[in-house]
Amino acid sequence: MRFALILPFLALPAHADVQTVINDHILPGYARLADETTELATAAQANCAPDTLISSFHAAYDAWISISHIQFGPLEDQALTLSMSFWPDPKNSTGKALARLTSEADPIVEEPETFGDVSAAAQGFTALERMLFEPQPDADYACQLTQAIAAGLAQKADDLNTAWPPFAELMLTAGEDGNSRFQSELEAQRTIYTSLSTGLEFLHDQRLGRPLGTYDRPRPRRAEAWRSERSLRHIELQLAALERLAATMTDNNLVPISAAFAEAQGRADALNDPALAGVADPAQHFKIEVLQQAVRAVQVAVIDGIGTPLGITAGFNALDGD
Amino acid sequence: MPSRRAFLAGLTSASLTPTLGWADVGNPVALSAAMDQSGRYLLVGLTTQGDIAFQVPLPARGHAAAAHPYVAEAVAIARRPGTFAKVVDCSTGDIIRTIRTPTGRHFYGHGAFSDDGTLLFTPENDIASGQGRIGIWDRSAGYKRIGEFTSAGIGPHEILRLPNGALAVANGGIHTHPATGRTKLNIDTMRPNLAVFDTDGELKDFAEVPDAIHHNSLRHISAAPDGTVVCGFQWQGDPFEAPSLVALYNGNGTLKPADMDDTALYQLDGYIGSVSAFGPGRYAASSPRGGLAFQFDASGQQIGTYRAHDVCGLCATPDGSCLVTDGTGQVHALVGDRLIHRTTHRLAFDNHLTAI
Repeated sequence: MRFALILPFLALPAHADVQTVINDHILPGYARLADETTELATAAQANCAPDTLISSFHAAYDAWISISHIQFGPLEDQALTLSMSFWPDPKNSTGKALARLTSEADPIVEEPETFGDVSAAAQGFTALERMLFEPQPDADYACQLTQAIAAGLAQKADDLNTAWPPFAELMLTAGEDGNSRFQSELEAQRTIYTSLSTGLEFLHDQRLGRPLGTYDRPRPRRAEAWRSERSLRHIELQLAALERLAATMTDNNLVPISAAFAEAQGRADALNDPALAGVADPAQHFKIEVLQQAVRAVQVAVIDGIGTPLGITAGFNALDGD
Repeated sequence: MPSRRAFLAGLTSASLTPTLGWADVGNPVALSAAMDQSGRYLLVGLTTQGDIAFQVPLPARGHAAAAHPYVAEAVAIARRPGTFAKVVDCSTGDIIRTIRTPTGRHFYGHGAFSDDGTLLFTPENDIASGQGRIGIWDRSAGYKRIGEFTSAGIGPHEILRLPNGALAVANGGIHTHPATGRTKLNIDTMRPNLAVFDTDGELKDFAEVPDAIHHNSLRHISAAPDGTVVCGFQWQGDPFEAPSLVALYNGNGTLKPADMDDTALYQLDGYIGSVSAFGPGRYAASSPRGGLAFQFDASGQQIGTYRAHDVCGLCATPDGSCLVTDGTGQVHALVGDRLIHRTTHRLAFDNHLTAI
């Protein structure tokens, strides 16, 4: 996305095998998301009590975080990114949207086919987390809202999973007559690379950068999914997913990339701080900053090992900033 | 019959004051600064189809160019905080003059000619005070500086000739000083605005960014034939708190925010690179950091979203479409509700397309 942009000049032989990425990474990832969200919706339908839903909530959210870096294709075409998960949310859009539905006891929760029209902030995992981990004033309405969110997630995931194979076909026929979406195989490879580099940037700038804030002003409540204590888990899951993606994109240059990922994973695993509350503690803040620097090292290794050989450099205009 | 010597002398002086029109240099509809594969900087003229009508070398990276309304002459203005501008004869590629800011000033990368092409106006920083100024240069006197007026704000960025001959200035509101590069010195108190002047520098209208979103830096503007100005902003706060980054101005002292959805805003890093008013009630905006371009209708409703890597340059074409360029050398056109790929050059197009 932002700084992962492209110059056209260096059309060197590329190693990224689009077919492998699709078959080994993207399609299984979206299939798993569809399965886990269906289980979640079924469980919520059977019993909407928060404590009975926690494990299926975690399993489904894990599946989402493990594939959410693939933002191009159906997710973008159907504009579902924010309705799957509304974060960062500095304006508390999620809290406001849920409060509005609850205070009005909006009957839209009884209409699965129109629930997708409510604010995106009330539809995704971030909304469901509030329902399960925050006290609810109206238990009956909370039950219906929980079921509606879970059913909506399952519906969206199913739509994405269904839309992926035809989109994959467009990527695999890049450059052929009649394919106006991808002008060349290189464009398809760049698109995949952008999701790798953007995912790393999001990890560095948002998932780590937001709670870290500054040394003088750490912001633990800006950590993603702190209510369910999933903040660190998202970082570990995303690192693992991006490492798998990187491994399918290059044959040659994997050693330094793998080493950088291993270093970051090791730092993350050693934190033992699920909600990243430690950003407020000077010693722990330092350790989380070291993890952030390790993610920066992964970004550099990925640029050197994959981006540069693909002829991809930072954007001429994106970096100009005027 | 003139002597051979006098004839040659005549040619020489003619080459210093070009009289060829834009039709004589391949009928470009837009100018863009660009970089070629070997890292050399250029000024190129593009046709409606995105073909290159002409290209001339530039000594340094350009930002935007001011196009003379009739004569095939352009002024390529140095990027902020540059202090020079190059007057280019687009028929020969010659740089026929270098304009330098007065001491204590720098340019912001943009400029505009008056309707009749006799005057050039350039947004400038008065470095000592940090106040914006508009420099006035007389083309017929060899781009002699003949005056200036206040921009009515800080950080004037793009200047634009309106259909009624007036000038619109986007005051970005951000105070910078060359000693600290592009470091922003007044984020807490910045107050961006759109100011409209007659060519004598008299302030005719003034539309301030509302207090609640005073971090929304107005940078780029484009005018429709009916005088509506589309405005592109760069948000200086948390990008996930950004308000709408596009607004429409209809001459009544207010900026009407366009209706941008959260999905769009969440991808832009708070940054719009260019805007264009390009058809009846149609407006476009680009975000190179998001790799996205957008289309809006007359009411400011977002009606189209288009993906293009490092997209930035936008410009209306006479056929009612919008030419779109990006940093990967692609030229697209926004036609109806579609973004159509026209052609690809082995160039990186720089930030802005200037309509001719």
